[in-house]
Amino acid sequence: MTHQTHAFHMVNPSPWPLTGAFSALLLTSGLVMWFHYNSATLLSLGLLANTLTMYQWWRDVIREGTYQGHHTPIVQKGLRYGMILFIVSEVFFFAGFFWAFYHSSLVPTHDLGGCWPPTGITPLNPLEVPLLNTSVLLASGVSITWAHHSLMEGKRNNMNQALLITILLGVYFTILQASEYFETSFSISDGIYGSTFFMATGFHGLHVIIGSTFLIICLLRQLNFHFTSKHHFGFEAAAWYWHFVDVVWLFLYVSIYWWGS
Amino acid sequence: MYYKFSGFTQKLAGAWASEAYSPQGLRPVVSTEAPPIIFATPTKLTSTVTAYDYAGKNKVPELQKFFQKADGVPIHLKRGLPDQMLYRTTMALTIGGTIYCLIALYMASQPKNK
Repeated sequence: MTHQTHAFHMVNPSPWPLTGAFSALLLTSGLVMWFHYNSATLLSLGLLANTLTMYQWWRDVIREGTYQGHHTPIVQKGLRYGMILFIVSEVFFFAGFFWAFYHSSLVPTHDLGGCWPPTGITPLNPLEVPLLNTSVLLASGVSITWAHHSLMEGKRNNMNQALLITILLGVYFTILQASEYFETSFSISDGIYGSTFFMATGFHGLHVIIGSTFLIICLLRQLNFHFTSKHHFGFEAAAWYWHFVDVVWLFLYVSIYWWGS
Repeated sequence: MYYKFSGFTQKLAGAWASEAYSPQGLRPVVSTEAPPIIFATPTKLTSTVTAYDYAGKNKVPELQKFFQKADGVPIHLKRGLPDQMLYRTTMALTIGGTIYCLIALYMASQPKNK
C-alpha cells in the first residue's frame, strides 16, 4: 500500500466541478429564457443542478476533512487563504454597487431635480426599521463571537445556544428587511434611486440568506460533534463571512439609508 | 559577570547574580504533550450543566472508520447506493439540461419569420 510522504491533500477525482460549471450555463441561459421567452424550465433545471452540486461538493469536503483527516495544518492554511480571497472578491462585488450609488448621488442629474433623494422619492426613515436591522446584525456579531469562544473552551451548551441565537437574529433581519421592501413607496424601476437601492440592499439580503444557511450547516455539524475545540475551520469561515455581511450592512446603512435620505 | 546558557542561541549569555538562586538545570521541564482536545461531552459537573440529555451520540469515530476503508472508491461514492443515486440524478439533470439549453439557444438564434 503506497502512502504519501507529504502533508498535502491529493483529492479523489470528482464530478462536481463539471456539474457546477454546466449548472452555471443552465442558470445564465435559464435567466435569458425567463426574461425574454417567458419560460422558467431551464432556470429551474439550473437551480436544481446547482443546489445538488453544492450539496455534494461540500458534503465531500466534510467527508475528506472530518472523516478522513485530510485537513492537516497546511491544508487548513490553504483553506483559510481560499476563504479570505473569496471574501475579498465579494468586497469588490459590493464595491461596484457602492460606486454606482455614489456616482449617481454625489452629482445628481437635472432630470432628478438636481438633488438627492431625487424629486418624488420618499426614502425610508433611517431611524426606524433600518436602525433596528443595524442593531440586530451587530448583536449577531456579538453572539457569534460568544459561540466561537465557547467552542474553543469546550462549552457545548453555550456554543449551541450562541450559534442558535446568531441564526435567529439573521432570520429576524431577513424577515424585517422583507417587510421593509413591502413598505417602500418606490420600486426598483423608479429611476436611479430605486435601482441603486434595491440592487445594493437586495444583494446584501441574498448574502445574509447565504450566511445564515452556512451558519445553520455549522449548527448541524456542531450537534453532530464534527468540531473540536482546536479544529473548527468550517465554523471560522462561516464567522468571517458573517462579519463581512455585517460590515457591508453598516456601509449600506450609513451611505444609502442615512446619508442618502 | 555572571552567565547563563541561552537555549535559543545555544551560547552563554550575560545574567544577573540572582539567576544563581534558580539554577537552570533544576527548572521543571515544560510538558511537550499537546493539550487534551476537548471533543464531545463536557467534563464539568452538574452545577453548571443544565439537565441536558444528549439525544445524539457521537457518531464521528465510526464514520471515520467507515470512510477510511481502503476500498479504492472515490469519496463522492463512498457511501454506496445513496451516493450513486444522487450522482446519477445530478449528472442526468446537468447533461439533459445542457442539451435542452443548446436546443433553446439554437431556436432563439433563428430569425423570427415575418
